[in-house]
Amino acid sequence: MTEGSDPRYISELPPHVHSGITKDNVMLRTFLLMCIPALAALPAMGLSALAHIAIAIGTVLFCHYSLAYTELLSKGTASYKSPCSPLVAGMIVGLSMPIAAPYYATVGVAALTMVVFKWLQGRLCGRKYLNPAAASKVLLLAALSIAAGLGTGMMFYPAHLRLDLWTAVGFDQVVAFYDGRSALSGALSLVLLKDHGWIGGASGLAVLVAGIGAVLWVRLKWRIVLSLLLTVGVLAAVMALVTGGSMVDRLAFHLFTGSVIFMGFFMATEPQSTPLAEGGQYLFGTALGVGTFLLQQLNVLGGSIIVLVALNLVTPLIDTIGRRRPYGHGGV
Amino acid sequence: MRLRRDKYHFQERGGFTVDATVKRGAEHLPFQRVPDPELCVVFLRQHIGPPNEPLVGPGDRVTEGQKIGDGEGHMCVPVHAPVTGRVSKIDTAYHPGLGAESEAVFIERASEETPPLRLSSFDPDWLEDAEPDALVDAVREAGVVGLGGAGFPAHVKLSFRDKVEYLVINAKESDPNVACDVRLKQERPAELVAGIRAMSRMLEVKGTIFATRAQRGEFPELEERLHKAGVEIAHIRPSYSVGSDKLLVKELLNVEVPCGAYPPDVGAVVHNVFTAYAVARGLFDGEPLTSRGITFISRYTGPRNLWVKVGTPMRHVLEHMGIPPDTVHRLAVASMLMGGAVPHADVPLVKATAAISAFDPQERSPYERERACIRCGYCNMVCPVSIYPVLIMEAEKHGQRGKLRRLHAEDCIDCGLCSYVCPSLIKLTGYLRRAMAEVKQG
Repeated sequence: MTEGSDPRYISELPPHVHSGITKDNVMLRTFLLMCIPALAALPAMGLSALAHIAIAIGTVLFCHYSLAYTELLSKGTASYKSPCSPLVAGMIVGLSMPIAAPYYATVGVAALTMVVFKWLQGRLCGRKYLNPAAASKVLLLAALSIAAGLGTGMMFYPAHLRLDLWTAVGFDQVVAFYDGRSALSGALSLVLLKDHGWIGGASGLAVLVAGIGAVLWVRLKWRIVLSLLLTVGVLAAVMALVTGGSMVDRLAFHLFTGSVIFMGFFMATEPQSTPLAEGGQYLFGTALGVGTFLLQQLNVLGGSIIVLVALNLVTPLIDTIGRRRPYGHGGV
Repeated sequence: MRLRRDKYHFQERGGFTVDATVKRGAEHLPFQRVPDPELCVVFLRQHIGPPNEPLVGPGDRVTEGQKIGDGEGHMCVPVHAPVTGRVSKIDTAYHPGLGAESEAVFIERASEETPPLRLSSFDPDWLEDAEPDALVDAVREAGVVGLGGAGFPAHVKLSFRDKVEYLVINAKESDPNVACDVRLKQERPAELVAGIRAMSRMLEVKGTIFATRAQRGEFPELEERLHKAGVEIAHIRPSYSVGSDKLLVKELLNVEVPCGAYPPDVGAVVHNVFTAYAVARGLFDGEPLTSRGITFISRYTGPRNLWVKVGTPMRHVLEHMGIPPDTVHRLAVASMLMGGAVPHADVPLVKATAAISAFDPQERSPYERERACIRCGYCNMVCPVSIYPVLIMEAEKHGQRGKLRRLHAEDCIDCGLCSYVCPSLIKLTGYLRRAMAEVKQG
């Protein structure tokens, strides 16, 4: 025993090994998966879709590096250097923009996302309570709508006021809008290839593939998506039964608009602003589904992010319920 | 995150895997005896329970196998001299299990060879005639504690005769870096089965289950002996978390151990496979627990199975393995997922030490690059006891004791899986340990 002369080792708590799954790893996988709907948007919406995505990613990366540089200058170290999370944020902003939105709106949403709702929110609140992309979009587009009118704000199209989703005849007119835009039937167009609405929802099928990939590869909170889609699906089916008309068209319309399918998989599952507990995730998804469906019926198509932001605010409350019972208490 | 199904990738909840490839091939490496060190440091407390009093003083000569510390409480387990020599001092040293200084007997090994002292022993052929209480007393006298890592007094667990129906031998070897149990099954099947039979006799159980993740036919001699002894072999799925005794009971008997209770409360006692071996050595050879097998892992040596005296300083083991102690950066004791890292190389091995892992400076701790929590929920997906580590961490940070209770922080089994899968590289283990302590304090 030669106490005092020993080499001193790093004394630390276990574990001493790690699975290798890192935040960057998860973000990179999410980004790669979102490239599927991004690529699918090209044939449907053209280069403009690509431009929106590129602008969003570019803006977010610019803000990210600017913030990192500022931190480096002021504190001597940047709190988060990796571009993986900003890449995902940029992609989400790009895919959640309506194709008809002006490019400056995309720049604004992307900048707000990065600076206010990612960076500042994290610093002020200790975590992100609001989904950065959704909150930025709601804030900016609502402000634009108020300042420059509904048509410019893109939050809600005045033309949609004419729609009547409460009757079979009114609904058929909505589907006929899709029928006339491509060689595909209305329902098929909604599922496979749409040329308007959210860029991320251009192909519902592509989002579905990417989303299932994310469930398996990234382990996103699938209970939220499942309960959202089930709720919207059930409500759509009930509406079809009550009003008459095509059940397939109803399901395709309510489930496969970009604001439902893309938002469901890639925005409503944002980890920090959504519940951790399994029961809470089901509740969150169901409430999101009900709110989304009601807004759709009220002609606020794409209004699901308003419901999402509202639910984000009550997530800490939802987190207090729906927890599993632990082992030893009748759980596992 | 890929789903891999082989014996070195343990499947956990949420589809996560624990990589145990670090011990790949170790099952083919026989135990290699480490020569006795010049100085042994034997802690007076190597069990869960009150410390022992020293039975020797500085300057006393001791013989290998001689009892050098004991206590009066039911939970006390005596300790024995691992080498013949002279007591140089009784002082405190860093205890790897407690993570703090603890009283120990320092023994300088004598140069001359002396036959070791042996306890009175039983004849395995006359086991049925032996009184269970006499056997239990003998297990205590042999200084046997749970060798799976906890160090619970074995004789206490073996005295639940009236309330226990099943004896479960945990041979799952689910720690990612421990392979010594496999070698024991390979090299010492006769002693192992003798120990299991003795334990069954002490507990007078209805059934004995040998839980292993080995495939049928992997250990033919052991399997044959177990069959002859009437022991049921349960081939368990490869999983790290099922190594916990409470979860093993659930897996095997489909009975949940209620919060605050222990497996005997639901009619089962779980003993580690190495404990069964130590029981056999103590009862039938009269050999107290002064040595054991461990798995040593380092980048330079790969995995090795060693037979080491209790009280051997880790410096001695490192030097024996050809690793200069000053080239080591971190020295982890026991499971890589559950065991702490010791502050220096002179920390001695205790009875419950099943493994040593030496990391060099290139093998930095992955947790050095900790980030902010993203609340992905991976920790609660993987948690084998269904608690919410991240919510507990938040409550612990804010000192919300009532919330910690509502979140059942006390149910954590300290398996380390939450940290293992955390993409933000947060060591949730520390928060959970503090939370558990806070809840238990009331």
